[in-house]
Amino acid sequence: MSAVLFGVLAVLALVAALLVFSVGSMARATFALLASLVCAGGEVVVLGLPYLGLVTVLMMVMEMVVMAVFMVAYMMDPAGLTQMSMVHNKRGSLVISAGVFVALAAGILLVRWPERTGTRPADTTFQLGESLMGGQMLTMITLGFVLLATMVGATVLATRRGRYDRFGDDLDQRPARDPVGGGVGR
Amino acid sequence: MVDAAPWWSLFVAPALLPALAVFAVAADALLIAREAGRPAGVVTAGRRLLEVPRLLVAQPRRTPSSDTLLRRAGVVTVPVAAVLAVLVVPFGRRTVGDLSVGVVWFNAMEVLTWAGLWMSGWGQNAAFSLIGGYRYLAQGLAYELPLMFALISAATGAQSLRVGGVVAAQHGLWFAVWMPFAFAVFLTSVSAFSFLGPFSYPAGRDIAGGVLGDTSGADRLLLQAGRWLWLAAGAAMAVPLFLGGGAGPGPAPWAWSLLKTLAVLVALVCIQRRFPMVRADRYVEFAWVVLVPLAVLQALVPALVVLNR
Amino acid sequence: MDLRAVLLRATAARPRVLLLTMPGATAVRLAAERELRRRDLPEARTPAEANVLFVAGAVGPSLEPAVDRLWRDMPAPRVRAHARTADEVAAAVAASRVSLATPLPRPGIEGHGEGTHHHGGGHGDGTGMPAGPAMAERGPDRDGLALDRVHLSFGPFLPDWPAGLTMRLTLQGDVIQRADLAESLWGATAAVSPYWTEPWTRAAAGEEVLLGEAARRRAAAHLDSLGRFLAVAGWPGQATAARRLRDDLVAGAEAAAVRPRAERFARRTGRSRTLYWLTRGMGELSRAEAEAAGVSGPAARADGDVPARYREWLTAVVDDVARLDDRTRLNDRRPLGDRRRLYDHSRPNDQDRRDDRDRRNDRNRRADQDRPDDHSRPSDQRRPDDRSPHDPAAPHGPRGRLDGPRPPSAALAAVLPRLLAGAEVAAARLIVASLDPDPDELAAQLPAAARG
Repeated sequence: MSAVLFGVLAVLALVAALLVFSVGSMARATFALLASLVCAGGEVVVLGLPYLGLVTVLMMVMEMVVMAVFMVAYMMDPAGLTQMSMVHNKRGSLVISAGVFVALAAGILLVRWPERTGTRPADTTFQLGESLMGGQMLTMITLGFVLLATMVGATVLATRRGRYDRFGDDLDQRPARDPVGGGVGR
Repeated sequence: MVDAAPWWSLFVAPALLPALAVFAVAADALLIAREAGRPAGVVTAGRRLLEVPRLLVAQPRRTPSSDTLLRRAGVVTVPVAAVLAVLVVPFGRRTVGDLSVGVVWFNAMEVLTWAGLWMSGWGQNAAFSLIGGYRYLAQGLAYELPLMFALISAATGAQSLRVGGVVAAQHGLWFAVWMPFAFAVFLTSVSAFSFLGPFSYPAGRDIAGGVLGDTSGADRLLLQAGRWLWLAAGAAMAVPLFLGGGAGPGPAPWAWSLLKTLAVLVALVCIQRRFPMVRADRYVEFAWVVLVPLAVLQALVPALVVLNR
Repeated sequence: MDLRAVLLRATAARPRVLLLTMPGATAVRLAAERELRRRDLPEARTPAEANVLFVAGAVGPSLEPAVDRLWRDMPAPRVRAHARTADEVAAAVAASRVSLATPLPRPGIEGHGEGTHHHGGGHGDGTGMPAGPAMAERGPDRDGLALDRVHLSFGPFLPDWPAGLTMRLTLQGDVIQRADLAESLWGATAAVSPYWTEPWTRAAAGEEVLLGEAARRRAAAHLDSLGRFLAVAGWPGQATAARRLRDDLVAGAEAAAVRPRAERFARRTGRSRTLYWLTRGMGELSRAEAEAAGVSGPAARADGDVPARYREWLTAVVDDVARLDDRTRLNDRRPLGDRRRLYDHSRPNDQDRRDDRDRRNDRNRRADQDRPDDHSRPSDQRRPDDRSPHDPAAPHGPRGRLDGPRPPSAALAAVLPRLLAGAEVAAARLIVASLDPDPDELAAQLPAAARG
């Protein structure tokens, strides 16, 4: 049963992934990619890690929808009405992707997979949390802060308007001069 | 405490949710009738449901160069996601699918609405629909983080992502009592993801209905149904998460589940009409600067309680 | 049993009505809105959701294409209804419902299958895309990025929009880069006499009009504006309250019955922190700017942003409702001081009530500390022309003085392009609703006598 489900999801994921490069609109490409990623999340669930699988689905939906906004904004595909292609440098990209696929597939077949020693835990989520947060607590905390700092830093660097633009030269102007006032009224 | 229901419950849940949604719509119709000075009775509430045959007979409508595939996918996604979301919600002692990560399942289904609404807004190829679709994303970015922390608070308090586990952990004391902020944030978010009342920003009157504006017929029916189904789904989920599920004196847990769900629904419908529409450009800053820190603090409370237990 | 007939009967039981008001047909619109509310027939926001296209007033040649276009956009089953006067409304609504329930193939349904015509943005004569899609061009936006520009028209018909007003907008995302007024579409038909300024027009023509009557009309006009504003702000319950109050005033309700309701409505709306929080800082229009542009009414007195304007309306409504029984004659040219005394003697409680309102306004104001200036000063300390809305000698209509060179709404419409530039669509709708130029005034040349 789960093998059939695995196979179906795998085929769907591949078909959706191919659609990303063959459909004619940015919006459709985005949602084809999303469909592919949702199938990949489903695979993780089938493999017995429901938490990781569902979080993948959750995050990918949010991410791809927000990404659709940016792709549409930057890819000069006004209203998605013109035919567009996601493929640039067709031959090169084909060679690279085929090479990566072959290497990964070979890895699956050639690597000696470890045998299961214990019994499978009833709640894999708990085990997952243990292994991530138990031994690697410090790593995870550090990673979390680094990621957050990167996001904040990137946003600050990308913002053209600084605090002097908002609060005046002496930083004493309240409320701030913003094109659109926020909800807290700073 | 919560057991898996027999296989036929898979068909009962999708029937019960629309019934709850119809109840909410009827309550809303009564409130509107009272505001407008019309007699508020059974007939008034029933008249609102004439919208269903009205939309069934309406001619489907398509705008030029619309993206039919994405529009259809989006329109179907919204109500279907709502029905899928309640599969993990226990009704009394039974639940259709007591997933070990039920809370995450609910959240993932709710996020599918983002994609659904954006696709239907985009697919119609009309300016106001498109703005409506974008508005839902802006609103989503505002309400989603506080909502996640509210869910995490409940899950932390129960030390389980299984909805049945959350119910069991409230034996004696409801989470709504000692996590009132998380409960309030959850209810606000229910309103927000069903884009009703003060959160009807994506379907605002100022953009002539936004995502709904250019739909007619079955498309419109599905989107409108999706809104109320989500409201019902959110109310149903609030009960196991914060109100102790089917627990209560007497022998019928399912009756308690139903009663609590109806109470939450009525409260939501009443509160919704008391506020003007909240625009995301104001709400997002409030959500991130005020709600998120408070929600983190709220999540800290059950974490500390559980550590000291 | 024919399923389709059953469904059609259900549709006819509660059809959605797209109400299109022609300039000069305010009285018809009021009657239609009352009828729809009473019979629980919801208003449609777009042609897509409408079953009945209800035209109030005579369609002028400039608006005819827009009306036809909306009709083409409506999916079947659909009917067209028309009322030229307020008396015809009920019959027209009833007839349209009968016609909806008839399952006969009505002419005009065939050939409107799936590909109905679309309209660019608002349902109006937008930059539609009949032949091929209009491509966006790029331009710098406020953050210095190059983003697509879209050209849209708002109006002439949008829900809760001054009917006939058309703004041509250049949008980037939903930020308005540029807004222009399309004056040709105000849609004047023959002689239009504005409904809301009627008492002053009559007084100017030499008829005897009492101040109470004028106050009643002005309060109703402000409530009409407030209803539109609250509907745009997404507060349907309060909008309905405003409209019911308006209809009761128009129908001649007793002062004693209306006053507590008006005060309750004003209190609830004016004190709403959420509404204030959502609209503060939008559409700033200082008194000096307003007067320079020729604006003289509440918009100038408010001297500030959107909340200042809707609170000014609320204050004016409560003020006017208190004066419903004032029997001073309009066009009375005795000196102001005399009349004032007379007036205050006649209503001993008036001052108390006004003080109470001022205290209330003070509380409202305290919430917005960024706006120290206010008009919550007791009325008697106001500048002389602050009190002038109640000066019977000067023709103060709901939107400003009627004795200027052009109607007050023309000045209100003229400040729109500047206020809308840089605003987002939602903010733009709120700004327009908070100024609310009257399409009747735009369409009509005021009678020369009123300028007097």
